[in-house]
Amino acid sequence: MLPELLRPEPLVEGSISAAVLDERVLAFPERRPPRAWFVAFAAAASCMSLGFALIGYTIVTGIGVWGNNRPVAWAFDIINFVFWIGIGHAGTLISAILFLFRARWRNGLARFAEAMTIFAVMTAGLFPLIHLGRPWLAYWLFPYPNQRGLWPNFRSPLMWDVFAVSTYFSVSILFWYLGLLPDLASLRDRTTSRARRILYTILSLGWRGSAGHWRHYEKAYLLLAGLATGLVLSVHSVVSFDFAVSVVPGWHMTIFPPYFVVGAIFSGFAMVVLVLAVVRRVMALEDLITLRHLELGNKVILGCSCLMGYSYLCEAFTAWYSMNPYIHHTFLQYISGTYGWAGWLAIACNTLVPQIFWLRRARRSLPVMAIVGVAALAGMWFERFTIIVISLYHDFLPSSWLVYKPTFVDYGILLGSFGFFFTCVLLFSRVLPVIATSEVKGSLHD
Amino acid sequence: MSDPRFSRREFLGLIGSATFVAGCSKDRGEIVPFTKRPEGAKPGVADFYASTFQEGLCAYGVLVKTREGRPIHVQGNDRHPAFKSKTSPAAIADIMGLYDPDRLKHPLMDGHPADWSAVESKLVSSLKDQSVLLVTGALLSPARRALIMDLKKVLPGLRHVSWEPALGDGQTAALQDCYGSARRPRLRLERAKVIVALEADLLSGGRTEEIGGFASNRTERSMNRLYAFEGSVSLTGANADVRVAWRPSRAAALGFALARELHQAGVPWPSGVDSSSLSDFSLEGLDSGLLRALVGDLKKSRNQAVVVAGPSLPPQAHAAAFLLNAMLGAEGHTVDASSSVAEPLSGSDAVAQALREAQEGKFGAAIFWQVNPAYSFPDAKLWKAAVAAIPLKVRIGLHEDETAQDCELVLPEHHWLESWNDFETAEDLLSLQQPAVGSLYETKQAEDILLDILRGLGGGAPIDYRHYLMARWQREVQPSGSLVPFESFWSAALHDGVCQRKAEAKPPRRLNGSAVNRWAQVAAQSERPQWELLLSPSANLFDGRYANNGWLQELPDPVTKLSWGNAVSMSPTDASRLSLEDGQVVRLSASGREVELPVVVQPGQAPGVLSAALGYGRRTGSIAQGVGANLFPLWNAAPVAVKDAGRREVLAFMQRHHTLEGRDVVRSLAWPKGRLAPRKDLASLYEPRKFPKHKWVMAVDLSLCVGCQACVLACQSENNIPTVGKERVLKGREMHWMRVDRYYEGSPENPRILMQPMLCQQCDDAPCENVCPVAATNHSDEGLNEMAYNRCVGTRYCQNNCPYKVRRFNFFEYTAQTPASARLAFNPEVTVRPRGVMEKCTFCVQRIQEAKQAAKVRGRPLQDGDIEPACAAACPARAIVFGDLKDSTSRVSKLTRSERGYRVLEELGVKPSVTYLADLRNPPQADAS
Repeated sequence: MLPELLRPEPLVEGSISAAVLDERVLAFPERRPPRAWFVAFAAAASCMSLGFALIGYTIVTGIGVWGNNRPVAWAFDIINFVFWIGIGHAGTLISAILFLFRARWRNGLARFAEAMTIFAVMTAGLFPLIHLGRPWLAYWLFPYPNQRGLWPNFRSPLMWDVFAVSTYFSVSILFWYLGLLPDLASLRDRTTSRARRILYTILSLGWRGSAGHWRHYEKAYLLLAGLATGLVLSVHSVVSFDFAVSVVPGWHMTIFPPYFVVGAIFSGFAMVVLVLAVVRRVMALEDLITLRHLELGNKVILGCSCLMGYSYLCEAFTAWYSMNPYIHHTFLQYISGTYGWAGWLAIACNTLVPQIFWLRRARRSLPVMAIVGVAALAGMWFERFTIIVISLYHDFLPSSWLVYKPTFVDYGILLGSFGFFFTCVLLFSRVLPVIATSEVKGSLHD
Repeated sequence: MSDPRFSRREFLGLIGSATFVAGCSKDRGEIVPFTKRPEGAKPGVADFYASTFQEGLCAYGVLVKTREGRPIHVQGNDRHPAFKSKTSPAAIADIMGLYDPDRLKHPLMDGHPADWSAVESKLVSSLKDQSVLLVTGALLSPARRALIMDLKKVLPGLRHVSWEPALGDGQTAALQDCYGSARRPRLRLERAKVIVALEADLLSGGRTEEIGGFASNRTERSMNRLYAFEGSVSLTGANADVRVAWRPSRAAALGFALARELHQAGVPWPSGVDSSSLSDFSLEGLDSGLLRALVGDLKKSRNQAVVVAGPSLPPQAHAAAFLLNAMLGAEGHTVDASSSVAEPLSGSDAVAQALREAQEGKFGAAIFWQVNPAYSFPDAKLWKAAVAAIPLKVRIGLHEDETAQDCELVLPEHHWLESWNDFETAEDLLSLQQPAVGSLYETKQAEDILLDILRGLGGGAPIDYRHYLMARWQREVQPSGSLVPFESFWSAALHDGVCQRKAEAKPPRRLNGSAVNRWAQVAAQSERPQWELLLSPSANLFDGRYANNGWLQELPDPVTKLSWGNAVSMSPTDASRLSLEDGQVVRLSASGREVELPVVVQPGQAPGVLSAALGYGRRTGSIAQGVGANLFPLWNAAPVAVKDAGRREVLAFMQRHHTLEGRDVVRSLAWPKGRLAPRKDLASLYEPRKFPKHKWVMAVDLSLCVGCQACVLACQSENNIPTVGKERVLKGREMHWMRVDRYYEGSPENPRILMQPMLCQQCDDAPCENVCPVAATNHSDEGLNEMAYNRCVGTRYCQNNCPYKVRRFNFFEYTAQTPASARLAFNPEVTVRPRGVMEKCTFCVQRIQEAKQAAKVRGRPLQDGDIEPACAAACPARAIVFGDLKDSTSRVSKLTRSERGYRVLEELGVKPSVTYLADLRNPPQADAS
C-alpha cells in the first residue's frame, strides 16, 4: 500500500454499502423533491416559456425582430448555438474519453454530465432552426429524396453541421441510454407504483443483470465510447468550419478547429462543475460527488484555460505575421473597437480567472469554483460574440461597417435557452437516477 | 323517356358546374384576363410611350414603360437631343407619385367629398367678376401659358404669379439687369475644358444634361478641369479636380478678383466695364499657386472655359460670372443662349406682394396650383392672414396637403403620367407629354379644370385640353405650308415625344458693362456675416413635392448619405468649437423665425457656412409627415444664429464609416501620367470556370461616375425593391441592390471625395455560392451569380461571406407592407420576394433574357448594346457599361482590358466580374503658371 500522502483520495467518502447507495440515489425519483427543486423548476420553466414565446413571435413576424443587420447577419442566434454545443462537450468527454483512459473518477459524474450534454445539444439545436428566414422549410437542409430532384449543397459547412450535430446527438443519446439500462432495471425492481413499474419495464428493455447481459453491455459501452470519442473532437471542429471555411477576416483561420474544441471542453466542464456543486448539496450527494471529483474537473478547466490563452496568442501572432490588413484590423477590433470590452472580457474570464486553480485551496473551494465557473461560461459566450459579431461588423469594405445592437427578443431567447436547459436538467434529476449506481458500486470498495 | 328540357347529361353537367360555381363563390379579387383582347394589346409585351417630365425649369424627355396598361418604369427618351436617353432620378422615382396611396381620389368641398359638377359650378359662380389670384409653379408650357392668357380674357381680374419656391432669385435678377432678358442660357459642358463652379452644383442628380457633358470630357483622351469653390459640399465639389472651401458671401468677390487677374494677364475688358470698380477685391485665403494655375487655365482655354454661379448666390456673384464668361468669349460656345427661352418666373417677393394685397382684401378668390405655399412660403403669419382674407381658396393638386387644408375647394388633378401637355425648353425644341395610363381616380387634368372655368365664364373652349393642345399645335407648331396632314404630324410628334424646329438665329446677347460695374460695387460693400445659411432644394425631394415618395425619402443624400430626413451641415472646425456632433439638434434662428434640426459634421464644409436641404418637414402625407425639418421659414433670412437645442435625434445614415482605412478599394490616378500598379494573377488550385456562350460582365468608370444615384433608383424601379423606412435603415436593413459608396480621404478640412457604385460583383468563384446549404444560389453558364428565391431558406450565411455586402435579406414581409396601389408599379418580369429570403442584383437577368429572345425572333445573334441593365440605362454619365466578355470587340471587353481597370478585393481570389476603371483627376501641375 502507498504511503498516505501519495494514496489517492477515495472516490466515495465514508463507507457506503450498495444498499445505502441504492436507497440514496434510486429512491430520489420516488420521493417528493425538496422545496429548492420546486423553486428552481418554477424559475427555469418561466424563463423557458418566455424564450419559446419570443421564438414564436420571431417565427410569426420575421427575423427582423432581432438585432441582426447587414453586415452582422449572424449574432445571438449563432453565438448561442456555438455556446450550447460547447457546453455539450464535457459530458461525452467524461463518459467516453475518460472511460477509455480508465479514469474511474468519472463514474460519479458521468450520468449527470451526459444528461447535460444531451440537453445542451437539444438547446443548441434550436438555434439553427429558428435562425432561418423560413424555419418551416428547415427540412430542406436534409438530403431526403424528392420529386424535384433537389439535393442539398454538400460543399456548405452548414450542411456539415447538420450531419455533425445530428450524429453527435444520436450517439450521445444512445450512449447515455445504454448506461442507464442497469439503473432503470433497478428502478423497475424497486418501485411500488404500478405506473412507474410499467414505464421502467419498458425502458429497461428486459435487463435482468445476467452475466450475458453484462458481457454485451460492456462490449457495447466500449464500442460506443470509442465512437463518441471521435465525435467529441469532430463536432466542434465542424462547427468551427462554419467560420474557418469562409472568407471573413477573423473567421478565416486554420487554428479554429482545435481552438473551438478546447473552448468547448473548457465551457462544458465549467457548466458541469457549476451544476454539480449545486446538485450535490441540494440532493445531499456530497459523499458520492466529492470535492475530489470537482477538483479533478477544475484541473481540466485550468488546463483548457492555458490552451485558450495559447490560442489567443496564436491568433494575435497570425494577425500580425500574416500582414493581411483586414485580419489586422479585425484583431484590433477584438480588443480596441466599439466592442473591445467584450474581447477583453473573454480574455480575462477564459485565461486569467481560471489561473487561480493553480492553488489547491481554490480548486477545492465551492465559492471559488462557482465564481470561476460563471466567469468561464460568460467568457466563452463573449468569446463567441467576439468571433461572430466583431469579425462581421467591420469587414472588407468600410462603407458597410455597422454597429450591432441586440433587441429584447435576443436577450429573451438567450434567457429562454438557459430556461430550457435547466428545465430539462431538473426534470431529469426528478425522474432518473442522477448517479450511475451500477458503476459507482464498482468503486465502493477501492 | 328523356325530359324535354333536361337530358341526364345536361343535368349532371349543370350539377357539376353549379358545384364548381359554388366553390368559386368567394370573390378573391383576382384580375380576369381579357376575353376579348383590345386590338394591339399584347399581354407580356411592354409598350413604351414618349412623354415629358417637368421639374422646376427642366423638362426631361422620357419613355414610360407600361405592361398590361400599367406604367412600371421611366427611362430617358433617346430622341431627346439634350438628354439623349437619360433622365433625372426624380422622373424615375415619380412613378411612385402616380401610385401614391395618399393621392386625392375625388374633389373636396369644405373638407367633405363632393362631385365634380357641384364643385365646378360653385367654382365658376364664385369666380365670376372677381379679382382672382392664381399661383402656379414654373409653366414651361406654351399651351398652358396660352390657356392662362385665354382665362385672363374672361376673367380680367386674374393675377398670375408663377413661383418656384426652392429656386433662388439671384440669377433672374442678374440676367435681367446685365442682359436685359431672363433667358437662361444652356451650359454646354461638353465643350468646356475648364469649368469654374462658384457654389454651383452642376452635377447633382437632376442636371442630367450637364453630367453628360461633363463626363464626355473625363477620359484618358480628353480631360477637362473642374474648379469648385463652395461653402457646402456638393457632388460638383466631390468630383472637382480642385475644390476650395469658400464662403458664398465671398463668391462675388472671388469672381470679380479673378476677372481683374485675368485682365492683368492680358485679357481685355468687355466694353463698358470700368476697371476702377473692380480694384477692391482681395483673394485672401486663396493659395497663390492655385490662383496662378486657375488664371493660366482660363486664359489658355478662353472660349472653352466657363464660369458658373449657383442659384443660391446673390445677383452680384452671377454678374461676376457673366463678366468672366464675357471676357473669355464663352458666349455662344460653352454658354449658349442662342435658342433659350425666357420663363417668366416671379420671385418670392412677388408672391409676398400678392399675399399682402390679399391680406388687404384685394382678391375675391385664389387658386393655388402645383406650388404648396402653406408649406413653402417663408412667412407663415402673412400666409395665414392672407388666406383668412380671401373668401374662396381653391387648391388644384395631387394631395390633400398643407395648402389644401387652408382651402375650401380641393380639386384633385391628374398625375403627369395621366396628362397631356407640351413643353418648350428652347425655341427650337418642343416636347410632348401624353398619358401612359387612364386616370386611376376621379381626377381631372388641372388644365381641364381651367378650361371648364373658361367655358363656365362664357369663353369659347374645345371639349378638353388635348384638343386645345392639338389646336394650338396645328396653328402654331406645324410648319405652315406643310404637305403632311396634321394627324400624321401630331402622331409622329407624339411617337417621338419631341419636336425639333427651326428657330430664328438671334444676335448674341450683349453684356451691359455699367450693370456689371454696379454689381461690382454692391459686391465690394457686402459684408461677411458670422454664419451663412445655404438652403438648396433637396437632391431627392426637390422643394418637397416628392416628400411622400418612399423611394426618394429612402435614397440617401449623395454626399452625407443621410436618408429619411435632413440635417444642417457644419464644418468640423465649427462643430468642435461649439462641441456639437452628428445628431445633436441645433436651433437656427433668423428674422424672428426658428427651425430646429440635427447637425451633420461635414468634412470639407467651409467654416461659418451652414447648409441644409429644403423639402423636408412636411406636415401632411403618410410618408412625408414629420420627416426632417422645414427650412423654408429661414429662406433669405439673415443674420442667422445657431444655438444648441440640448437634445439629440437619431440620423439614418446609410453609410456610417467614411474613410477607406488605407484599403485599396477606390483607386484614383492623376491624369495624364498616373498608372495602376501591374496586376498579379493569383494562383488557383481550380480550373477556371468555363462559359460556353456568353460571359456577362460590367465595367464601371469611376472617372465618369459623379455619384448622382440615378442607378439606385432605376434598379429599385426595375427590380421591385421595397423601401423599409427609417427604423430599419438605422439597423442597416435597407434593400437597395445597388448603392453608391462615398469615401473621404485626407484632412477633414478639405478631403478628397471618392464615389464608387457598388453592386453584386457576380464573382466567378463566388464565396456566397459554396456556403449555401440548400444550393439556392448558383452560377449560371453565362457568368451570373443566380438566386433561386423559392429555394432559399434564409440562413444568411451568403450575406456574411459576401466581401462586398451586396446581398439583402428580407427581415420582414415587405411586399405585404407595400400599399396595394404601389404594387401596381411592380415589374411583372421580376419575382417579388417573400420574407426570410435573400436577394441581390441579377445584372437585370430579365433584360438579358428579353434581349436574347428578341434576337432569336429576329434571327440574328445578340449584338453589343442589345442589353442594358437598368442602372446602365439610367446612368447620365454613361459610367456603367455592360456586355459580353466572350465578344472581344464589345465595349465592355475593351474596358475590361483597360490599363485603368482593376477589380475590388481581387486579392481574395473571388474573381469578380465587375471591372472598375480608376478615377482620373486632373489637378493643375505644380509648375503651371
